[in-house]
Formats: sequence, structure tokens, C-alpha cells
Amino acid sequence: MKVKKLTALLLAGTMAVSLAACGNPEVANDTPAAETSGTEEAASGEEAASGVETAKAEAPAEKQDVSLRMWGAEEDQAMLQEMIDSFEENYKDYANFDIQLGVESESTAKDTVLTDIEAAADVYALASDQLIDLVKAGALQSIDEMDGALQAYAGKSIADIKSANAEGAVGAATYDGKLYAFPMSADNGYFLFYDANVLSEEDVASWDSLLAKAGEAGKKVGMTLASGWYNASFFYGAGFTTDLNEDGTTSIDFNKSADCTGVQVVQAMLDIASNSAFAAVPDGDISNQIASGGLCAAISGTWDATAAQDAFGDGYAATKLPTFTAGDKQIQQGSVAGYKLVAVNAYSQNAGWAALLADWITNEENQAIRFEKREIGPSNNNVAASDAVAANVAIAALAEQSAYGVVQNVGGNYWDPAATFGEMIAQGQIARDDEAAIQEALDTMVEGITAPVQ
Amino acid sequence: MKKRYVNMVLRHLLLAVLAFVWLIPIAWLLVTSFSSYTGINTSTFFPQEWSLQNYKNLLFSADSVAQFPNWFKNTFIVACCSCVISSAFVLMVAYATSCMRFKMRKPLMNMAVIMNLFPGFLSMIAVYFILRTLNLTNNHWGLVLVYSASSGLGYLIAKGFLDTVPVSLREAAYLDGASEAKIFWSVVLPMSQPIIVYTVISSFLAPWMDFIFAKMILNAGVSSQWTVAIGLFNMLDRSLINTYFTQFCAGGVLVSIPISVLFVIMQKFYVEGVTGGSVKG
Amino acid sequence: MGKAKGQAGSFPGAAGGFFKEFGTSLAKGDIFVKLSLIWMGAGYCRRKQFVKSILITLFEIAVIVFTFGFAMDYVPKFGTLGTVQQESVFNMMTMKNEFNDYDHSFMILLFSLASFVVWAIFAVVYLYNIINSYKLQKMEEEGKHIKTFREDLISFFNEKFHITLLALPVSGVVIFTLVPLLVLILVAFTNYDQQHMPPSALFTWVGFRNFRDLFSSGGLTVTFGYAFVRVLAWTLVWAVFATFTTYIGGILLSILINDKKTKFPRMWRTLFIITIAVPQFVSLLLVRNFFANSGIVNTFCANIGLTGWLRDMGLIGTSYIPFLSAPGWAHVMIILINIWVGVPYQMLIATGVLMNIPTEQLESARIDGATPRQIFWKITMPYMLFITGPALVTDFVKNINNFNVIYLLTANVFVTTNQAMANSQAKEVDLLVTWLYTLTQDYYNYKMASTIGIVVFIICAVFTLISFNRFIKGDREEAYR
Repeated sequence: MKVKKLTALLLAGTMAVSLAACGNPEVANDTPAAETSGTEEAASGEEAASGVETAKAEAPAEKQDVSLRMWGAEEDQAMLQEMIDSFEENYKDYANFDIQLGVESESTAKDTVLTDIEAAADVYALASDQLIDLVKAGALQSIDEMDGALQAYAGKSIADIKSANAEGAVGAATYDGKLYAFPMSADNGYFLFYDANVLSEEDVASWDSLLAKAGEAGKKVGMTLASGWYNASFFYGAGFTTDLNEDGTTSIDFNKSADCTGVQVVQAMLDIASNSAFAAVPDGDISNQIASGGLCAAISGTWDATAAQDAFGDGYAATKLPTFTAGDKQIQQGSVAGYKLVAVNAYSQNAGWAALLADWITNEENQAIRFEKREIGPSNNNVAASDAVAANVAIAALAEQSAYGVVQNVGGNYWDPAATFGEMIAQGQIARDDEAAIQEALDTMVEGITAPVQ
Repeated sequence: MKKRYVNMVLRHLLLAVLAFVWLIPIAWLLVTSFSSYTGINTSTFFPQEWSLQNYKNLLFSADSVAQFPNWFKNTFIVACCSCVISSAFVLMVAYATSCMRFKMRKPLMNMAVIMNLFPGFLSMIAVYFILRTLNLTNNHWGLVLVYSASSGLGYLIAKGFLDTVPVSLREAAYLDGASEAKIFWSVVLPMSQPIIVYTVISSFLAPWMDFIFAKMILNAGVSSQWTVAIGLFNMLDRSLINTYFTQFCAGGVLVSIPISVLFVIMQKFYVEGVTGGSVKG
Repeated sequence: MGKAKGQAGSFPGAAGGFFKEFGTSLAKGDIFVKLSLIWMGAGYCRRKQFVKSILITLFEIAVIVFTFGFAMDYVPKFGTLGTVQQESVFNMMTMKNEFNDYDHSFMILLFSLASFVVWAIFAVVYLYNIINSYKLQKMEEEGKHIKTFREDLISFFNEKFHITLLALPVSGVVIFTLVPLLVLILVAFTNYDQQHMPPSALFTWVGFRNFRDLFSSGGLTVTFGYAFVRVLAWTLVWAVFATFTTYIGGILLSILINDKKTKFPRMWRTLFIITIAVPQFVSLLLVRNFFANSGIVNTFCANIGLTGWLRDMGLIGTSYIPFLSAPGWAHVMIILINIWVGVPYQMLIATGVLMNIPTEQLESARIDGATPRQIFWKITMPYMLFITGPALVTDFVKNINNFNVIYLLTANVFVTTNQAMANSQAKEVDLLVTWLYTLTQDYYNYKMASTIGIVVFIICAVFTLISFNRFIKGDREEAYR
């Protein structure tokens, strides 16, 4: 608090200066030309933005010292360091950078950040499902406010960024109409890996044929049921929905009916889980199971592409998820579309440059590099449309599945009841034909998920 | 005579079985660390292919995930410092509460009992902010403080031990005109070897074991600053476990070596210290 | 319990005496004693204890500087825990965010408390200082020798040696345990949760609302009462089993190893000690993979047909033995694994203690013709209990709060199939502390975690008060000297 002590006077002063700058740039004599022009452009609003090449800011007479800290995934460190180097090189005329790179997995960023937001890195990568909690805790810098800085230094506007990336990815980075992060990748979802030596393309179209063929071959099909991230895919496919309310509670309709009844979905899941060719894999264990060689097909994401490639050899193939039989209908299994984003800390000492760095590591060139080096599925439309990306088996399958993917908006109370429900199905603790019991289990789950947040 | 012989055999057989049970997981750790397959081996006890690669990677080719030499060094320094401080604190408190009588003794001891009852990590966040105010986060001194500053609370075992040191020894020293400090230093301490060993060992171990506090305090994400515990724990992250599980095992083995050596050496003192001619009352 | 009451009664008495002494000192003291009210060094200065005078004056100045330079930034806001919400404006010119002078509720809470502690210490020193000054005055009047600074220093290695010994450890405990604990207690009376998380939001006092929520109908979650009772029951069962199995196991093992008839005692000891040398998180995570649903033990059991047999018997409904993934199985396994982890430690302690058993007692018992069993129950065990009794109680409390074993063995592996438990984010194998950890780490529900923490404390306190006063009665301290 002490460190950030700043008087209202200074704040008022800043407002005055920027107001003045809007009307009459010359008034702010002592400000460097570059920044003034930036402000001017910001003020001139949206129309100057998309598509049109905006003038880059000129180099200031005196360079700022900017120190930033960035967090990225363990496996990305070397690549991120190169991106930082190219960032420093690109902006070397404007400031002296001192950028420190640290390790923080995208899946745990929220926990670390929320412990002490002020000590968290200026720029960090996160999985899109963490965005809402972070926004609510006031941890994220609104990127909309950075429009001016981006136009002045990176020569693009927020609208450019939005149009350059996949709609779903932008949606996942937006809360309440404001953009809170830069889309980095669009591959945080799951689909079906299979061994083409065992299964044909027709076999993998439906669960029934998939399990039958796998059973014949004496192999298993692996999927994680004890996780609300995976098991909701059956419900989403049948048109059920979840939503996050303003007060942090979750709305869910799994116990009602959509394209079919919730009970029918559960029965379909029970049919699959009780098949001897099905292996219910504990959450997080799927890579290990693929690698151990007992599976001929598995539901997982791009992060397991290497494991699947090693296990299936020349039979390595991937496609969208199969359909399942609910009642008398074949229903396409849905999925959760997840993205990875790069956010700027709201408490960053150098929020402007932090935003530029976040933009830099998620821009078109760097998304291309990311794909090239780590086979990470890009959210950038141009990169996604490139031949190399289209030729990637896993990413192509993900793209195919994305037509059935939904963004999973749920609150904290969702996960435990949903995981328990999946585990009950995996262990066959609900009788398939006892519809009343299934309905009761669904109701109990929904009751837990929709419980008020204390 | 024969019964005695059978008894003898049974006794050693029992010990052997127990030792076998106790050592199986350790043996698995050891053999897995020599496996050339990097994931978790679930089908056979012994690896299919043996290799030294895990140790080589861990020791000589540090990448951003595995910086074992750095971690080892950090942990060793932290462990040594906190071991010295904790042992000193524990013995000081134990001597004051066991061998001296003063007004605040009982209230202080009761306070200590009460404080031991609270689940420690609940107050972790407060400890973290105290350290941050002192500018000691992401700093190994901060860690040393966390591990050792409150160690005085763990004085009970040492006090229990000092309670058995005969009063007559100290009284003789008083009569010779020795000061309290001198009695503490040259009468009671030399007799307390077993408990010193116990204290030293347990406080030396803490930094090798703890990953919750360490992760909270070293939160800048700079992996070269980490302790062994955070680093190894991180290797079991879902995205890393299949590439690093055997290195994790190798790391576990490497950590155990110095600690085992410490134990084996200390064990000698342990026995000698106790049997080495101290007067029993 | 009667003992505890006696102590509780004597403490206010002592404090009352202290204040009375202060009153008389002030009333009867000369001008320098009275001057000490403002300038703490006055009394000492008059009695020519100049070094002491300077030191105490420096202390006084330090506290004043602390008060106005630091404490006053926070303490006045203690009543509200802050009112100024964080706001920021991005400044294009500096490329920085500019913040208002916002309040950080947690810092206000923490530093106010720290200030109270400092002031409490100051108050005691301040009062004591007056009393001391008056004592010096009397000594001077009676013509007694007043200690020089050197003599004062020497006394800190003699009759006041306990102060020297305790100063550092106690201040460490105050800063790193006491203050955080008080913060924790106070948080239970605020609304510090995900909706009110500093620095972006403020939290404030809510009185006893959290305790009411905890026990009123509905409670924290829809099935809170249900989950709380079960978690509490398992916590107690676990603590009892974990404590006594390792304790007794350790003693038996150490007796077995240290017996004269056992060959190579050091070798055996070393073998068991090796398991301690592997850090707990390594060995526990390893064991967890060892017993995983698709782990090596399960592969082995399936190969020898044990899994199939158990399934035929109807004992398991899965294609694997759920060692660590089904209640019942997991409960037993956790206790067994804890024996594996804990017995070598206890063996080490027991060895140390057993070697100190007064040999005369053993000898005379043997001469009297006592059997080994009698010796064990009549001499060894009472002695062990006397020495390690307090440790046994602390072990029990530690086990109630034993986070590592449960967390490392079951986190992310154990998925409950009990929906009522799941609706409260609890699992059958959760202890109160691991449940707390989930509530704080995954749900940021600090207020409820603190509230439950206090409940855990009360449970521990009741248990400890009953048993502790039995083990550390003052009169027993001298028994074995």
C-alpha cells in the first residue's frame, strides 16, 4: 500500500493532462511526442482502428526503464525466452527492458495469483476457465483500456485483435463485454485418439461400434468419467446447458430434459461404462494409460498427442468424439471448448508495456512459432488456416469437434458433485433400469451444484 | 536351550520380514530411478530396461524443469541454517523450562500448548504477508525463518528428556560456583546428546519435506530458486509426470543419500551418547 | 480440570498484584520515579545506571517512532478494516496504472494486530520500569549496593539466564505463530471470502455470523452438517489410530531391536531408518502410485488372481482393488501406510528413551524374579509414558492436524461416490484440516476456514486440557530425578 501510495492530486492532474491532450496536444509541452500522439489516437476513437494501418509512435528522446515479470508453462520456457528476446529487440527504441521469466503452469495460475495478486507476475498465461474468478477478484487488467497503448506502439487496436482470433477464444477472454486477456491458443479441449490399425473410421463414429470392435480386439477405450470437465460432454451433446450467475452460483439443467431426458443420458453413460471394453480412467491418469499400451482409443487433448503417437505408431489417428445412443436416438457427444489466454496483472507496475508484451507473445507470428515448436493449436485465424496446422492430425480432430464444443461456464460448486456423479457411473453404483434412482441422483447433483455460494 | 535357539531364529525372522515390508517401496524407488522408460511403470516391479540417464539428466543437463543441483544447494543451505537455529531454540527453551524456576514458566508453557493446537497452515497467509512486509519473500532467509523461528514451541520432547537429568549433577556444579550459563553449556548439554541428535535431525529434515510453505514463499516462479521439495513435486504435474517420473525417483534417491548418511552417523552418537558413562540417578 | 482452573485463577491474581505494586511504586516514588512516566530512563539515570537509562530511552523512542511512523497508518482503520476501494486509471504517458491510496483490509488487520502486540509489550515494560525505578530508589535509601551495568549483564547469565534463553525463541514464536494465529481468529469474525478479497475489494467485521451460519440450518453448504459430523468422526478415529499404532509399534520395534538377544542391532536400526531418510512427500507419492487403481500392486493382485477372488466374494465391484479410492479400503490403507511412515520415527525416540531407563530398577526387578512381560508393563511402559506422555499428547494433536499423509495419499486420487459429501466439497477420507485446505485453496473461503479452524482448536483444546494436566502435573516433573 505504501509503495503504491499515490495522491488524488496526481490522479486529478493526470486526468487534466489527458483531457487537455485530447483537445489540444500542444498544451502538454513536457510530455514526449510519442506518448502524446498515442493519446491523441486513442481519443480519436474506434473509427481509426480496424484494418487501417495506424502510425507507429516515434521513439522518445529519453528511454524508460521497464522491468516486467512473466509466467508461462514449464514446457514453454525456452520458446518464451526467445519471444521475449524478439519483443525486446522490436521495442528497443522505446524503453530499456528487464524481463524476467518464471514458471507457472497455466492450470494453476489462478491459485498462485489469488494468494497475493500484488506479488504475481505482470503477464501470465492461464486456462480460460479461470478468467471469471480472476476478473471478479480484480486481478486482471481490462485490455480495453490499453487500446491507446496498443495503437500507439503495436499499431493495432482491440478490434484488430478480436477479429484476428477465433470468435470462441475472444468470447472466452471476454467478461461483461470487456476483453480481459489475449487469446493464445484454442486447443484446450478434447477429442478421440485412436489406433487405425485396430479401428476403422466407421468404427469410431459411434460408441456402440467403437466398444464392440475394441472388445473384439481385446483392447480398451479410455475416458475420464470422474471429472465434470469430461463427463459433461454427454449432456452438452444432448443440448443440456450450464451457466454461471452473477452471484457466483451455477445454473444447470441436467436433471430436466433437452434433446432427450437427463435420465436417458445417464443410462447411455451407464451402458458405455459397464461395457467390458471401456476403461474409466482416473482424472489426470490418461496420458499414463495411453502410454501403457492397453488402450486402442482414448478421449484426451492435444497435450497427449505425443503419447498417443508413441503408443499407436503408424496407426495414430484422431477424430471428433463418437455418437452415443440415448433412448432410441444417436446423439453426437459434445465437449468443452477451452482456450489458453495471456492476461495482464491489474496491479502491474508497467501495465502498458505488460499489455504490449502479452500482445506480442500472442500475435500471429508467435502463434505460428508456438505451433511449429510445440504443436499448440492456434487461436489466430490466419495461423489456424495455414496448411501446416490443417495437416496436424490432432488439431484437425479438435477443429472437427469444436463444432460441438461449448464454453463451460460454471462456478466453484460445480466440480465436486459432478466428479462424484461421474465416479458413481464409472463404478456402476447406479442401477441402469432404476429410473427413479437415476433421477434422484441427478437431482442431488443439481442441488449441490446450484447451492448458494457462501 | 533349544527353545532359546528357536526364539532367536523367530526373532530375527520377524525382523527380516518387517524390514522387507519397510524396504519394498524404497527398493521400488531405487530400481525405478534406473529405468529408461520415463513414465510410471505399472506392470513390473523391475524396469524392463536399465539406464543411468535419469541421474545424468538430473545432475548434468539441467533444463527449466529439472534444476536439481541448484535445488539441492538451496535446500542444503536452508536446512543447515534452520537446523542450527531450531536446535539452539529448542534446547534453550527446554533448559529454561526444565531446569530453571521463574514466575512466567507455567503461563508460558500453557501458552505453548495452546498455540500447538491450531492448525498451522491456516495462518500461512498471515505468515506470508509478514514476510512480504519484511521483504523476505522469494528469499531463502525467509524460508529459514519460517522453519526455525517458531521451533521453540517444539520443546516438549527435549524438556521431557532434560527432566530426567539428575538434579544432583547441577547442584554439585552450583556448589562449585558455576553460573547457570556454564551449567547449561558444560553440564547439561554434553549429557543431552541423544536429544540434540533428535532435534538436529528433525529440524534438518523439515526443509527437505515441506513444499506447501516453500511454494508459497518462493512464488516468483524462478525454478532455480526452488528447494528440492517444490522442484520434485512439480515434476509430478500432470503435463510433466510422463516425462519426469523416473527423474523424480532419481531425485528422491539423491535426496535420501545425505539424509541417510546423517542418520547413520548420528545413530553412532546416539548410542554412544547415551551409554557413554553419564551418571544415572 | 481442577488444576487448570487453579492456574487460571492464579494468573489474574498475579496480574492484580503487579498493578498494585505499580500503584504503590508510583505513589511512594520520588520525583525521578514519577518522571519515568514520561522519560523512561529518568529513574535509572538518577541512580547512575547510565547505560540502562540510554537503552530504555532508545526503546521508548523506537516505540514512539513505530507508533507514529507505522502503526497509525493502520490502527485507526481497524474498526472498519478500510473504506477506500481500489481504483486505477491508466496513464498513456507513463504507460503505467495510477492507483488511488486504497485500503488493504488484510494488511490493516495484520498490522493493527502487530501494533497491539508491540504496545502490549511496551505497556508491560513501561509499568515494570516504574516498579524497578522505585525499587532502586528504596535500595539507594537503604544504602544497598546498586548493580553496575556489568553486574546486570552477568545476572543475565545467572539467575536471569532464563530471560537470555527465552528472548529469541519467544520473539520468534510471537512473530511467526502468535500474531498469525490472532489474525486467523479475527478473520473468523469478518467476511473475508472470494467476494471480498483484498486488494481489489474490502472485507469487514460481521460479528458471529459465520459461527451462526456454520451451525444454523443449511449451514455452509447444503449438506454441511452431514459432512461435518462424518469428517469429524474420521478425524478422531484417524488421530487415535495413527497415534497409538505408531507409538506402540515404535516401542515394540525398539525393544525387539535393542534386546540383548538380537544380533546386529545397528544394522536393523539402519534398515528402518532409511525409510525416514526418504522425504515424506517422495515416499508417500510413490506409495500412492504403488497402490493406484492401475498401479503395480493391482497388476500383481490381478495376476495372482486375488482381484478376481475378491470380486467373486462380492467384496469389490470394480476390476481393480480400490486400495486408495474407495472408503473403507482407503481408511485402512491410510492407517497402514501411516504405520509404515511413523513407526521408524517412534522407534528412534523410544530407543533414546529406553536407553535411559534407570538400570537399578531393571536389575532389582530381575533379581526379584519378574518376567520380561512384567518388567515391560511395570517398569518400561510407565517410564516411557512418563517421558513421552507429553509428546504422545502433542502427537495426537498433530495427527488431528496431519495434513501431509492424507493430502499426499488421496488428493486428486480419491473421488467420493457419496453425493451428500460431494455437495459439501468433502470426501470420506478428509480430515478437518484437509477439508479446510480445500475450502481455502479452491474456494478462497477464508472466513469459513478460520471458523472451522477455531472449532478444530476447541476440540483439540478439550482433549488436551483433560489429558495434558495429567501428564505434566508439576509434582510429577521431579519424579524420576
